[in-house]
Amino acid sequence: MIRFPTSPSEVPASAGGGPSPVIRAGGTDLTERRRLRLAPGPLIDLRDVIGLDSIDWAAGAATVGARVTVAQAASDPALAAAYPGLAAAAGSLATPQIRAVATIGGNLLQANRCWYFRNPDHRCLKSGGDTCLARAGDHLYHACFDRGPCACVHPSTLGMALLAYEAQVAVHEQPERSIEALYGDGSDPSRDHQLPDGALLTHVVMPAPVPLERAAYFRTISRARAEWPLVEALVRLGLRGSTIEFARVAVGGVAPVPLRLPAVEAALVGNAMDRTSFGAAANKAREGASPLPMTGYKVDLVEGTVLEALERASYATPSAVGADAAGSAGAATPKDGA
Amino acid sequence: MTDKLSTTRRGFLRGTIGTASAAIVTTADAGCSKELTTERGTSAVPQTPAQERVDVSTKVNGQTHRLEVHPDDSALDVVRSQLGLTGCKLGCGHGACGACTMQVDGTPVATCLLPATSLHGRAVTTVEGVGAGGLHPVQRAFMAEDAMQCGYCTSGFIVEATAFHDAWRAEHGAREPTKEQVAEAMAGHLCRCAAYVQIYAAIQGACAGRFDGEVEAPRYDAREKVTGKAKYTVDQQPDGLLIGKALHSPYAHAVVTKLDWSAALAMPGVEGAVDLLTESRRVRYAGQEIMALAAIDERTALAAIEAVVVEYDVKPAVIGMDAARAVGAEVVYPKRGDRKHPPNSSEGPLLPEGWSGNLRGPLGLFSKQRRVARANIERARKDGTVFEGTFRTQVQCHTALEPHVALAQWEGTDKLTVHISTQAVALKAEEVAERWGLRRDDVRVLAPYVGGGFGAKGTLTHEVVVAVALAQVCDAPVIYGLDRRSEIMIGGNRPGAEIEMSLATDAGGSMTAMRSITHSDSGVAVGGVVSIMHRIIYPEAPRELVDYDVTNHAPPGKPFRGPAGPQAYFALEQAVDHIAHVRGEDPVAVRRRWDPNPARNALYDWVDTLPEWTGRPAHKADRGRYRRGIGIAGAAWFAFVEPKSRIQIDASPDGIVVTTASQDIGNGTRTIIAKTIAESLGVGMYDIDLRIGDSRYVHGAWSAGSRTTSSVVPPSKHAAEQLKEELVDIAAKHFRLKGAVAVPGGVAHEGGKVPWSEVLAISPKITVIGRRKRDEGGYAVPQIMGLATERAVSASLQVVEVEIDTRLGRLSIPRTWAGYGVGRIVSPTLARSQAQGGVLQGISYALYEERRLDPTHGYLLSAGLEDYRIAGIGDVGEIHIHFEESGYEKVRGRSVGLGEIVTLAPAAAIANAVFDATGWRPHELPLRPDRVMKGMHT
Repeated sequence: MIRFPTSPSEVPASAGGGPSPVIRAGGTDLTERRRLRLAPGPLIDLRDVIGLDSIDWAAGAATVGARVTVAQAASDPALAAAYPGLAAAAGSLATPQIRAVATIGGNLLQANRCWYFRNPDHRCLKSGGDTCLARAGDHLYHACFDRGPCACVHPSTLGMALLAYEAQVAVHEQPERSIEALYGDGSDPSRDHQLPDGALLTHVVMPAPVPLERAAYFRTISRARAEWPLVEALVRLGLRGSTIEFARVAVGGVAPVPLRLPAVEAALVGNAMDRTSFGAAANKAREGASPLPMTGYKVDLVEGTVLEALERASYATPSAVGADAAGSAGAATPKDGA
Repeated sequence: MTDKLSTTRRGFLRGTIGTASAAIVTTADAGCSKELTTERGTSAVPQTPAQERVDVSTKVNGQTHRLEVHPDDSALDVVRSQLGLTGCKLGCGHGACGACTMQVDGTPVATCLLPATSLHGRAVTTVEGVGAGGLHPVQRAFMAEDAMQCGYCTSGFIVEATAFHDAWRAEHGAREPTKEQVAEAMAGHLCRCAAYVQIYAAIQGACAGRFDGEVEAPRYDAREKVTGKAKYTVDQQPDGLLIGKALHSPYAHAVVTKLDWSAALAMPGVEGAVDLLTESRRVRYAGQEIMALAAIDERTALAAIEAVVVEYDVKPAVIGMDAARAVGAEVVYPKRGDRKHPPNSSEGPLLPEGWSGNLRGPLGLFSKQRRVARANIERARKDGTVFEGTFRTQVQCHTALEPHVALAQWEGTDKLTVHISTQAVALKAEEVAERWGLRRDDVRVLAPYVGGGFGAKGTLTHEVVVAVALAQVCDAPVIYGLDRRSEIMIGGNRPGAEIEMSLATDAGGSMTAMRSITHSDSGVAVGGVVSIMHRIIYPEAPRELVDYDVTNHAPPGKPFRGPAGPQAYFALEQAVDHIAHVRGEDPVAVRRRWDPNPARNALYDWVDTLPEWTGRPAHKADRGRYRRGIGIAGAAWFAFVEPKSRIQIDASPDGIVVTTASQDIGNGTRTIIAKTIAESLGVGMYDIDLRIGDSRYVHGAWSAGSRTTSSVVPPSKHAAEQLKEELVDIAAKHFRLKGAVAVPGGVAHEGGKVPWSEVLAISPKITVIGRRKRDEGGYAVPQIMGLATERAVSASLQVVEVEIDTRLGRLSIPRTWAGYGVGRIVSPTLARSQAQGGVLQGISYALYEERRLDPTHGYLLSAGLEDYRIAGIGDVGEIHIHFEESGYEKVRGRSVGLGEIVTLAPAAAIANAVFDATGWRPHELPLRPDRVMKGMHT
């Protein structure tokens, strides 16, 4: 069964009985999961939905439609000017042929890449089984911040980026929620996000941009390109003089949900933007890590990746908003860093 | 239910089998049962199952189509199967390889993941629509730069690169993009042959406007590959084609206690099934094919597989060598009978060896003065002049981008045509004929284009058996191929190895002993032969060389490009490097002292003139975050030849047609034959109409073991010489020429010259057959399986620069210099392409590739090209190739093969470079970031 609704209100919340309907946008993750029999159920295809495909601005802040493609988000000049880290993250994930089709909503709600979850012959906690197969098996690429029975890592680079941007997501006929609320704390082994079945994520609501922020996204992988991250990090820094007065640091590839690293942020704020404070702050990225037997190396990589992103952020050109777009950005001011 | 008949004679009961009856088709051992139980579907006439359809209106290559698609069809499925546009290929099925790339409204998209429904109202461009009305500059550039080998991924690269090119030139004119920019644009494409150096050159050159005019292609079949016209086995779509799918065991060790496919066969559109288990009903590795069925389309076949009822008695499995060697481990082959014909992961015949539990061996045949070697190692231990260490290498999968696939079609009951993605057209025809009891002439094997092989497509494997058996029971053409998961699972792999390596010298630095004790992990297969590699290099010192196989419940290894070589040299060449380092000697000087091989000695001379090597920085020169180091390693490989190889030329007023039952898997078979004959006649390569990939032609060489060049060049020359002689006679008689003699381009005589075309125009039909005559001095050993071994061995020497990012554990290879001694180079461009590709495949092995199984249950985890990582275009540094053409005077044609030798030394050279940079010697592959981080901390 397939339906092509033309507006969000035509998307049924949930069909009683039988497998839940599955919402399809770009299909870049869903197509393979359906082949692997991991997402049965009737299709709700968003192809004909009118709207949800633009980046809109109000009071200097962006609202990004869920059907905006990753490529659009990466190449939109206004978005890159206001939220440089988000644009960089969007432009670094997957490959050009995927980014051209994959949507923002789909990226946030995609399923994890655990090689046990994606094995059609064996059931894990996220595919109807009663145990985490990775934990007892091969978890070389799994979590080093152990948050629950499931040892997978969250796949969404944009989720990690939006966490660092403190964005909200809008869900049709439901209140807006934070990225933290979208994903939960990682202890729910049954799902990759906390939206109910059939709920339609319609927009990402960005907060007002932080003027003159320096942001960097960095992904640690074994090859040069096109690889799911071993660890990824997004760093945003704001300066007063040479002192860091605002810092947001998030990491991915390390836990069943993207993580913000408040200890790193706290170690940065009030310190100079230099090697010493970066080194000390990056070291705090290890705090709370609880690696599995095979993922101890990732703890080193979290520190290294955060350090790399910090250094790159320090070289980054400060975002334009606040200088030439102060009017539209309005009263946007850096929030406190603590 | 299955009504099982028995038979003792081969060839019993072929052809149409009545509805709901069953038969046993006898075949020889192909890794599955000799007797296959088959059953026909229950519907009398093929029925189309009722499926949900969605109307889609789309424009493809400028033409509007109204299509009916299933909601879950991919755009790729629909364009290939409904529109017959087969240029864009299914590679991985998860958007990692890009072989399926098409432009949708001008933007390149991975169509294997794109729902067909989303094509509604959009405009699609496939490779067939690129440069319509002429070649696009990018296509010309790929042809001119030889930016392809097997060609399977080429369509995807072309579609992406044309979009990049057009956008680039619109914005930047003819400014050349950087490699970095090209790598970014091409990040979603993988080339398993690793033609990346040429792909960079082609795309950069096209953007810079260098290929706006006509070009010459050094590769004979380049045009077919850049236009998507080359038809591979996966592209064949005869009328009434059924799709075969298999049920794979989820368990590594089990006995199938119940197999009931009646519900599946009752489904509309399901036409027949075949049981692939042996009489014991035992499954020995996860992924093993239990049964297969054929249906009217893929969706129906997959649904039918779901409907098959199987019950397993799951047994304890041993996975990996440690578990298999443990005391009390479950034994994979407990019975003597089971041990007679295990799958063979080597390219040679299996020698009879002892067994103890899961351990097969020792194979010590290649030792030399074993006792002296032991004594000398003891002495060197006391003197502190021995290197001893244990090295471990991973299981590497071939994962050619065209999977294992066969399409079988019976004509009546005794004539069979099979398209196979194979490295050995002639051999497969013989094997199929033997297994199905057919006359050799009644079997036709076709493989006009083959999307890579790397060793895994030499022997008769399941896909052929399944396709032939299903085609027989269904009385219809059936195609059966592996998807990417299955290809990585069971398509073939290079065995993992654990090598205890010892190398002893005396005080003066002479090698006094070599010892290697190797345990190979070929899963349920056997045939580890690291000892052979350790015999053919530095051959003078006494040595003890021992191989064991450790059978365990993992999929069988197969021959893989230079079987045993990369493992063997990873251990040995690091031992050599260690000795040189400890002695404070130049590593080349040490090798020169031990190495009598003339070709490699010429390479030592070459490397001594290489400023990057001779002027290299001191050991551990870098102390910062990034550390560079330079390493060197050599390797030896055999020079093989297939003496039965023939080339036929048919000349007539219509032109020169050349035929042989060989195939081109990207290695350039077509080019070297056409070029050799064209050069002999003094005409252009494209004046030759060359047809290969058909078993009806005269016997052709396999594409395996680096034998092709040495096997096809001499008979090509021989055939051309005969043709010239005949044409000179004909011309002399017809035109009454005096002093007629063959010259380039035609027949010279006292009064001038008659071009070949004029001679051919008046010539009757001439047929000549070129043979591969013996080499001077004969061969080293008697022929084995139609293969002769030259007395000379091929040689390589490779210098590698590594850069290590100590913060993030990343290792990259900025520069490589590789020298090869393989005699005369027939096609310099293609030889360079193959060498650079082989080096890159070796780098990919050393840094990224690794099959991972669940450690307890043995099922595949690295099940796609995301988790099974192969090198991409961004991982490619500079690769400089040097060919040393001297030597091999006694080899007919003076050329030996190149395919294997190019990929043997990279892992060893990289490891030596890592040691040079850091003082840490890697003992385990691949060099993943976690291993590098750990190495940095030790």
